[in-house]
Amino acid sequence: MKRTTRNALCNLLLLAAGAALLLWVDRTFDRYVVQVLNLIAINTILALSLNLIYGFTGMFSLGHAGFMAVGAYVSSLLILPQAQKQTIYILKPLIWPLSVLQAPFFVAVLLGGLAAALFAILISVPVLRLGGDYLGIATLGFAEIIRVVANNIVPITNGALGLKGIPSYANLWWTYGWCALAVIFIARLVQSNTGNVLKAIRDDEVAAKAMGIDVFKYKVISFTVGGFFAGIGGALLASLLTTIDPKMFTFMLTFNVLMIVVAGGLGSITGSVLSGAVITVLLEWLRFVENPVTIGGFTIPGVPGMRMVVFSLALLCIILFRREGIMGMREWSWDMLFRGRTRGGEAR
Amino acid sequence: MKYGRLILGVLLVCIMAGAAFASEDVIRIGVYLPLTGQMAFGGQLELDGVKMAHEAVPEVLGKKVELIVIDNKSDKVEAANAMQRLIEKEKVHAVIGTYGSSLAMAGGEISEKAGIPVMGTSCTNPLVTQGKKYYFRACFIDPFQGAAAAQYVFDNGSKKAAMLLDVASDYCVGLGKFFEDQFKKLGGELVTTLNYQSGDQDFTAQLTEIISKNPDVLFIPSYFAEGAIIIKQAKELGAKFMIMGGDAMDNPEMVKIGGEAIEGFAFTTFPYDPSMPEMSELQAQFTEAWKAKYPDKDSNANSALGYDSYMLVIDAMKRAGSADPEAVTKALAETKDFPGVTGSTTMNATHDAEKPVGIKKIEGGKQVFVGTVMPNL
Repeated sequence: MKRTTRNALCNLLLLAAGAALLLWVDRTFDRYVVQVLNLIAINTILALSLNLIYGFTGMFSLGHAGFMAVGAYVSSLLILPQAQKQTIYILKPLIWPLSVLQAPFFVAVLLGGLAAALFAILISVPVLRLGGDYLGIATLGFAEIIRVVANNIVPITNGALGLKGIPSYANLWWTYGWCALAVIFIARLVQSNTGNVLKAIRDDEVAAKAMGIDVFKYKVISFTVGGFFAGIGGALLASLLTTIDPKMFTFMLTFNVLMIVVAGGLGSITGSVLSGAVITVLLEWLRFVENPVTIGGFTIPGVPGMRMVVFSLALLCIILFRREGIMGMREWSWDMLFRGRTRGGEAR
Repeated sequence: MKYGRLILGVLLVCIMAGAAFASEDVIRIGVYLPLTGQMAFGGQLELDGVKMAHEAVPEVLGKKVELIVIDNKSDKVEAANAMQRLIEKEKVHAVIGTYGSSLAMAGGEISEKAGIPVMGTSCTNPLVTQGKKYYFRACFIDPFQGAAAAQYVFDNGSKKAAMLLDVASDYCVGLGKFFEDQFKKLGGELVTTLNYQSGDQDFTAQLTEIISKNPDVLFIPSYFAEGAIIIKQAKELGAKFMIMGGDAMDNPEMVKIGGEAIEGFAFTTFPYDPSMPEMSELQAQFTEAWKAKYPDKDSNANSALGYDSYMLVIDAMKRAGSADPEAVTKALAETKDFPGVTGSTTMNATHDAEKPVGIKKIEGGKQVFVGTVMPNL
């Protein structure tokens, strides 16, 4: 069997197995486990999109919360039932076209992603002329602008009160469906010639330019695709939580995603997927350290906030002893499995 | 091996009986509050109140009550996870919480689906219980509180009001709006409304503008950290008008941060204060018990609400005669004239506690309870 056919077959089998697993999980486990699983999928989408921008193209972007906010607000406004729209806008009524617009969930999430992508294009034109830390600061500024604007355009976003009662369409099928789509799309992208160009820009921008690459164009492409999936992640998160407000989309949210990307490995899709799962589970699982523990007759009272201390220690260890993250730049592949030995992703 | 199966069967029965026994033996009440993060100061006080109530009444229906406390980190995602964990993993019969309306909204959606009754402590935004069958609260709501503040300042001779609002705080924006509505309805005039963002430190520009408009009263429904700075800076700029705030200002720290500048500052709150001149028996008991348990901390309305929330849930379980979530929900909805530390409590149709609004004033470096107001809505 040819290698490509074998790999395609394996991928299909994996997807089918994943779907079967979801069906089983959905039926057996309680809502708490399902909630955490949903968060894993959403965090993975977000991490992948930031990894494309930062890990594969080398653009240090801190604007993720901004894209998520755009995606979340656009899709939520499209799926909120009309009656709900009337009751929650208690400061000022929702302006006309938005108050009657409705869309199915898939379309709403897609439009949320597209709106975020549109914002990504708009800001990339002035901002991507900057490099390094300056780009980080500029994109951070963008995210803050989005948040402050959301606070102030009350007739559209309901200001600080936020939206509530968003229908919770986001179930395992939707979140993992979008997650699979994001993995496949971004994996295909970075393996294609475009991906090689992006990596060339990351490794040496000047050299890439000298080779005749339109650096700006490719940066915009990468930034836009990243923004699109960030918007999708935001839209799914809104529907999962059923309530959003501008306070959610602070720098801390971007930082969480950045943490997943760095812990997984910059420039590794496998790493982002793994650490998306590991960090989300770790955060929830570590709750036990905040409970009172009895060891041999001694009772240690629970300290709120202990979880974050332990979590931060774990992160410190990752960065100290494994600076390149869980996967580094390596990828997992079928070839690796069949040949039974590891091989650097960049060598392919 | 003949007896192998028999022994196995007996063991299995024992385990199952044990499990059934364990789940029937205690009544589990979940508590989700912000114990870390931005809103930790309120969450901690409320948790102290809940714990005190638990110590006072550790049993109901002849069973032990177990409290399961989970920190929601002042974060929406965490609040939703915390509620999900309480219901699915800890199998609680009822939940108490939370401080912060936005957190309550994230948790409320989940308890609603699972059909577990929740008693909100101090989530005052009207949207929290709107359209919810299982969410209740031990506090009044912001429209009521805002109206009471407006009523109080209007009755005390203020005809021109100004507002300084935190646009990033749902609580602040909502309360401001309800104050404005009632103040205008009473015939007052709102001369200006200016904004700031949570975390701001310098309010001199807005205050100079407000002073130039010469209002009788300035309404600032902020949290106490910003509120204290606003009052300080207003006094430094020579402001002569009265300043009024909401229940988020009710914190023992207030006097420490504000110092002398906050003399004469008034705010609406829940009708309980350790310095109240005429206390009911229950309030006196609560104050005494608090002093004995936490000698170096002052009690406030939040701790009293935490206490009341627990007692309301226990009362509902007693009246329902079981800890079954549906029965408790039904009993909670029927709560009438329940004697609480924060006044007599009746659940209305929208699951809000109907109780009078208390007014407190800072006099001589101390919080003084002025009286209660029932606004004419």
